[in-house]
Amino acid sequence: MHRSLFALVICLLLALPASRAEEARTLSIIRVNVTNQAWDFARPWGKRPPYSRRAVGTVLEGGRVLVTAELVANANYVEFETPEGGRKVPATVDVVDYEANLAILKTDDAEFLKPVKPLEVAPAAVGDTLAVWQLEATGNLLVTKATLTTAEVTRYPVDDSPLLIYRLTTPLQFRDSSFTLPVVKDGKLVGLVMRYDTNTNNADLIPAPVIQHFLTDAAKPPYKGFPRSGITSAQTRDPQFRRYIGLTGQTGGIYVTDTVPGGPAALAGVEKGDVILKIDGESVDQDGNYKDPDYGKISISHLFSTRHFDGETLKITVVRKGETKDLDLKLAHRPVESYVIEPYIFDRAPSFYILGGLVLGELSRQYLKEFGGDWMKKAPEQFVYFDRQQGELFKDGPKKIVFLNRVLPSDLTVGYEELAHLVVKKINGVALQSLADIPDALTKATNGLHRIEFDGEPGTIYLDAALVSASEVAFKQKYRLPTLQRLE
Amino acid sequence: MISRLPRFAPLLLLLTVSALGQPNEIRKSICRINNTAQEANYRVPWMPGAMSGGSGTGWVVSADRLVTNAHVVSNARFLTVEKENDPKKYIATVEHIAHDCDLAVLKVQDASFFKGTKPLALGGIPELESQVTVFGYPIGGDRMSVTQGIVSRVDFRTYTHSVVDSHLSIQIDAAINPGNSGGPVMQDGKVVGVAFQGFSGDVAQNVGYMIPTPVIQHFLDDIKDGHYDRYMDLSIGIANTLNPAMRKALGLTDDDRGVIVSSVQSAGVCAGKVLVGDVLLGIDGLSIASDGMVELQGERVLMSEVAERKFLGDSVKFSLLREKKPLEVEVKFDRAWPFGMLATSYDTQPPYVLFGGLLFQPLSRNLLAAYQFSSDRINYHYDFFISKELYKERPEIVVLSAILPDPLNTYLGEFQQGIVDEVNDRKIRTLKDLAEALEAQAEFYVIKFVGYGRPLVLERTAVEAARLRIKQRYNVLSEQNLVSEAVQTR
Repeated sequence: MHRSLFALVICLLLALPASRAEEARTLSIIRVNVTNQAWDFARPWGKRPPYSRRAVGTVLEGGRVLVTAELVANANYVEFETPEGGRKVPATVDVVDYEANLAILKTDDAEFLKPVKPLEVAPAAVGDTLAVWQLEATGNLLVTKATLTTAEVTRYPVDDSPLLIYRLTTPLQFRDSSFTLPVVKDGKLVGLVMRYDTNTNNADLIPAPVIQHFLTDAAKPPYKGFPRSGITSAQTRDPQFRRYIGLTGQTGGIYVTDTVPGGPAALAGVEKGDVILKIDGESVDQDGNYKDPDYGKISISHLFSTRHFDGETLKITVVRKGETKDLDLKLAHRPVESYVIEPYIFDRAPSFYILGGLVLGELSRQYLKEFGGDWMKKAPEQFVYFDRQQGELFKDGPKKIVFLNRVLPSDLTVGYEELAHLVVKKINGVALQSLADIPDALTKATNGLHRIEFDGEPGTIYLDAALVSASEVAFKQKYRLPTLQRLE
Repeated sequence: MISRLPRFAPLLLLLTVSALGQPNEIRKSICRINNTAQEANYRVPWMPGAMSGGSGTGWVVSADRLVTNAHVVSNARFLTVEKENDPKKYIATVEHIAHDCDLAVLKVQDASFFKGTKPLALGGIPELESQVTVFGYPIGGDRMSVTQGIVSRVDFRTYTHSVVDSHLSIQIDAAINPGNSGGPVMQDGKVVGVAFQGFSGDVAQNVGYMIPTPVIQHFLDDIKDGHYDRYMDLSIGIANTLNPAMRKALGLTDDDRGVIVSSVQSAGVCAGKVLVGDVLLGIDGLSIASDGMVELQGERVLMSEVAERKFLGDSVKFSLLREKKPLEVEVKFDRAWPFGMLATSYDTQPPYVLFGGLLFQPLSRNLLAAYQFSSDRINYHYDFFISKELYKERPEIVVLSAILPDPLNTYLGEFQQGIVDEVNDRKIRTLKDLAEALEAQAEFYVIKFVGYGRPLVLERTAVEAARLRIKQRYNVLSEQNLVSEAVQTR
């Protein structure tokens, strides 16, 4: 059975007319094959098994190939392939932004992209008919037409960073490389498919404005990323609430519920309880929307993140205790490292420290996601709560949460075997701000004992300092560990 | 098929005859209990709850009292008891009920019920592998059923009636089915347990559990003064001292003794007397092993078993090391653990405050069961209420559990499932605090919720204007219930 099927496929490929293949190449897309291998955050000394994906890459001016960042997260090897499956060349990730879910790939093989006509990027409007491009196994183009139904600001795969999306509703057929599909209107790229729901047939696209912002930023290294305001806000629709805060005589405005410490809003002097009436000359309504020239009513986070760049200053008008004030807000991207519990860690090995069998790490959402698709239910409840409420809980530190991942049992850890998922507060009396504090803390053993204090049961445990040092080599061999620590 | 089986299996008679001296005597002292129950309604707390019926088994424990499970007679509005070979239904009332160990004592109004009965005596803990007989009125027929099995395991186990309490419990392989609850498990003519819980057939087979006599006796002793005081609890956390480095740090010798105190609940009886870091070496003269076990009457049991056997007013004596110096510390059990919100509660009316169509209720297991809250904040406050001592800040976690929609509150949906922090700058620690704060006259009622940056604001004039409208539209019989008082069965 298998053999005959294989033969049939070969025949089909051979029968493909050369002109058809040539046509696809002029259509500005190529195949991108990626082998990803993520670090194993549960066993941070190693990587998970590698896996490969095939996707469609969109060729832009200047030898750039655009794909989603998800495709190349933790990529070990990237290659370009002609649509009809002929030639392959190695490629590299040039610029990647996981928050905007976009990446630019390049190849050193100058000849490879030459026959391909680059696409321009142009926005679309709600109601436009768009074409989703896929590649058949033969290299033929599969086109699905769909109407752009919605443009809204919503979550991206990295949950904390809402950005504009376009939404289409259309049944898409599965093909082996149906990943990061380009969506085109009048020969111009309007977006890349970011996610597709097979139940509702909704396809969410990374839209042209986000792509253009990414490309403009990437053209001027170093890449900065999408700026944020550092404001969390609430609606002011309730008339009783408006009267309470003395907001009479106008209809709009949003109520500032909090600001990120050290973030753009805090630096600009925005305070909790301020009501923001205007941003950059645009009026803010009571739901936190403004009237965008392209998309109509849309969240002000689009204004901050996508209509402006890191380093730009916007004038915002607030009402504070009945007085109107103008503040200058200098936009800045929030680096992922500045989070206590980092929302994502890609292309970077997790740091860890194995202390006499205690596997210590820094809490991250990437670690929590090791508990599976429903990690919010399966991961330790306290850690999930910490992640979700980190803006509220850790204003006074620590910088990172050092935690005991698990215990690799040995004669040093007798009695501690079942300890896991505990926050480590102190080692030898040193309050830990991050894993980097551990080597110094370990020099402060008293009476030859390391004292480790947890937040919660079992409280305090001890390890014999001399035995910890003496057993390192044997311990590494016992559990086949390449190293006992990674601190960077 | 089942209905064709003869009502009296001949085997039954044979077994009872061989196992017991006076089978009729025992059977005469066992009765069926029918309960017309009414459960509290946590979603519409001013409404009387739904009625339900159930039946279980009871047995004569003294000249005029019956014993059964608490869950057989929980939330009872009307109880009747029936004996084999007696057509009469006797009206019964609950005299004492212990939800923390699933036992209850009933009175029967008509003393003639006890004519011909003989109180069943309590035995000890039966040997593993020894044979026991279960009497009761399980599903599958109307008359008394008798099943037989052996003792499979003696262990500490969660009592599912309250969910949070664990006591000694004995596993047997005799069939225990719904209706058996409360019935006696007999050996050599004495009660060795009360059948009380099991698994459904698709989880495990031939696994039934009975409450052993130490727990029954503890209950009967507790109520001797006419009041049930509940089980006593040390409310401390302990950790083992198996690790050599740990033992060295604590100044312990190589004798496999002692546990380290890892937490002391500030609301518990040990607060201020036992400290975190103390090493407990002995309890009431019994040596504590490094894994937390003591040897009690020839059995290795958890040291908490010593506290299990105490009563309100009793004391326990610890031999401990503090800063490596030996010390004797006496701890008096002057109160039971005060916060019951983690346990399923029965025989109470749900406490609540309704204000401007906003329904405020204290967090409890019953509330969580009634509402499928999705808020991780609520779940955190529930699950870490004790371990993080959240009760210190808020003895009751007051939740905005529901909103009765009205023009007054139509923009307040985002606050649902919020935990009340302050009302008009007054810290809300209990539901009563909330009720008082909302009674105070103010132009605005400003309600702050934990973790919410924006307060909920209601204008007094608007609340007053909406009050009657909401009451009538939603048939609100009462706007608040602040005490969760026990409902008496009459």
